[in-house]
Amino acid sequence: MTHTAALRLAGLTKHFGRPAVDGLDLTVRRGEFYALLGPNGAGKTTTLRLVTGLLAPDRGSIEVLGIDMTTAPAAAKAKLAYLPDDPMLYDKLKPFEYLEFVAGLWGVRAEAAEPRARELLDWLDLTRHAHELTEGFSRGMKQKLALAGALIHDPELLILDEPLTGLDAGAARQVKDLLLAHVAKGGTVILTTHILEVAERLAQRIGIIRQGRLIAEGSLDELRAQSQGGSLEDVFLHLTATP
Amino acid sequence: MSAAPGSVGWLLRHELRMAWYNAAGGKDKGGAARRRPGNSTIGLMVLVWLVLHVVAWIAVRSLAGLGSGDPRILLLVSAVLLVVLTFMLSTAIKSSVLVMFERSDLDLLLSSPLPSRSIFTVRLLRVTLAAAALYLVLLAPFAHAGLALGQWRWIGIYPGVLALAVLCACAAMLLTLGLVRMLGARRTRVVGQILGALAGAFLFLVSQAFSLSSRDAQGQAREFAIALVRQDSVLAADSLLWMPARAVLGEPVAMLVMVLLACAVFMLTARFTHRYFAHGLQQAASSGRAPAAVKGTLRHRFGRSLFQTVVIKEWRLTARDPQLVSQVLLQLLYLLPLAFLVFRNAELQVQAIGAGLVLLCSSLGGALAWIALSAEDAPDLLAASPASAHTVRRAKLAAAVMPVLALVAAPLLWLVWRSPLAGLVTCVTVSCAVFGAGLVVFWCGRPAQRSNFKVRGKGGFVMNMLELGNSLAWAALAWLLGGATVAPMSGLAMLGAAGALFGALLVLLAAWLMRRPRV
Repeated sequence: MTHTAALRLAGLTKHFGRPAVDGLDLTVRRGEFYALLGPNGAGKTTTLRLVTGLLAPDRGSIEVLGIDMTTAPAAAKAKLAYLPDDPMLYDKLKPFEYLEFVAGLWGVRAEAAEPRARELLDWLDLTRHAHELTEGFSRGMKQKLALAGALIHDPELLILDEPLTGLDAGAARQVKDLLLAHVAKGGTVILTTHILEVAERLAQRIGIIRQGRLIAEGSLDELRAQSQGGSLEDVFLHLTATP
Repeated sequence: MSAAPGSVGWLLRHELRMAWYNAAGGKDKGGAARRRPGNSTIGLMVLVWLVLHVVAWIAVRSLAGLGSGDPRILLLVSAVLLVVLTFMLSTAIKSSVLVMFERSDLDLLLSSPLPSRSIFTVRLLRVTLAAAALYLVLLAPFAHAGLALGQWRWIGIYPGVLALAVLCACAAMLLTLGLVRMLGARRTRVVGQILGALAGAFLFLVSQAFSLSSRDAQGQAREFAIALVRQDSVLAADSLLWMPARAVLGEPVAMLVMVLLACAVFMLTARFTHRYFAHGLQQAASSGRAPAAVKGTLRHRFGRSLFQTVVIKEWRLTARDPQLVSQVLLQLLYLLPLAFLVFRNAELQVQAIGAGLVLLCSSLGGALAWIALSAEDAPDLLAASPASAHTVRRAKLAAAVMPVLALVAAPLLWLVWRSPLAGLVTCVTVSCAVFGAGLVVFWCGRPAQRSNFKVRGKGGFVMNMLELGNSLAWAALAWLLGGATVAPMSGLAMLGAAGALFGALLVLLAAWLMRRPRV
């Protein structure tokens, strides 16, 4: 089982009038930190929403840790967590109540969920806001709480869409540390980002998609080799330039 | 010639354009937001307006012999204006709250170099137009009919209604600003909403209280009213309180006084309160960002079942949203006279109580079901989780139904104690009606945002009709079966009861057949 990929996409296709994801083949290994890059409208968010079961594919297959998302969605979802760019929170809940709700959705037992919630809130510096409703939270605090929610069931695969957008330097560091710790423990992280420096520093492998297709993939060095050197920004701009 | 950019006229044109776009309310067939009402809507409105002109023509012609000083016509017009005034005030209060708290373009306007006085003046005009629009549409045909029949005095409707609207708008805006100063922005939204609804329902509630009160009380009220209009009292024929009616009836002096009064009040309000408006907006803007701590110790319990977790979450979200709770409860305001029935006579009015409780509870159940089932704040969180969607939705339905049944338990127990058979019949019909309302939303509800609660009717005509059908069918059944507990049932009543039951089941069947596919 250790050879099973964390995520395997084969011929994944989704049309919204025009193809948003177009025959995408992608494999992310277990315990890997993978960054999915692409220009605006390349199909990154659609891909993540397909992987997390929020959208149904027109064609192709999605395997999460060896489990087919289309035939056994509940089993696949139990192993992953998704953090979209707009945090999925409830304004009128307090942080612990939010985590209690998310833990309930994933069926986490009380003896595991409660200490985990305290640990995450402490780590993300949210414990002192435990009495407050999230409606008064800043963008960064909301993003951190949503991340705590994503981690409450200790998912094997963590999928994040632009997790660092709008965060200040301190909050961004906290989130990055948490993600690296998750990978260090054997978890897998897939993230999309427009901040190329984040991908450059954190990701072990980077995939670049354009018009719903994977146009390049590999470690930073491999990508550099494909496009005659330079920074990731140079590589990205070279690969995504309109032909 | 167009107004200079940044001027009051220019800003007013922008406001009117936005109001026109908002009036479209919805999306076209392609899914894009409509920029204006559809041709069929405009056509229907013009047709209704033409029919109103015919009605007005008949009414004005029949009043031709009466002079504007005639007490009967003064009384009639004043009564109409009193009704208009309360509804205008209600609309104006709601609009004031809206322009203060719910307009997304205020940050842009206030960060621009436009003077706050111009912005406030235009917003005040917008509230005035919101207050006047409906009544101008309804009453203008009388002015036009008067002109057609050579009775020029009816043209006074235009300045009269506009003057009243200005006075209502100024009063509403001052009230809202005063509330913001006294209570803060957060509470003003709720209190303003309640005041607006109470102002709108005031005359209805008074009239219902009168008709449901005892004969002695009715007699005393009549004597009091007669005393008020005696020659030497405050409502004598020459009283200033008849001024609006005289203005509407085209008396030049009264018209001039009303117009001058409205202009003066408008200018004074705009001149002296625009700073408070800016201050109120700042408070409103900061209230959403201030940390909102909930009193009491932290109470949370991990490890509940999925069903319990969802129910508790729904109750927390609803209970902590006073604005939403007040919107839900204010819908029931018009059913309040039902309470008078219980105390009116010593004899128990089983039928009316049963039918009334059914209407009240099914309406409340439908509203709560919409909040829980349709207005989910984080649908992607639920969809991305491994939780059974069916269990989650059943829990949401339960979260909507349980509070209604808990709320109605006390009156039902009282009814069972007073009249066991009637009480049991009411228990069954109320429970079925509440579950029915919940199931209609369960099957046919469309995803929406909580903040759209007030306009949820626009989102699903079919669902609203099914909800109404459910309420009426169960109310009819409660009425007919309630009657059967005190007297033998006639053949017609039996047929009616069977028809009501069939209707209720038909509504549920239709809702199930039209159920929306879930992802």
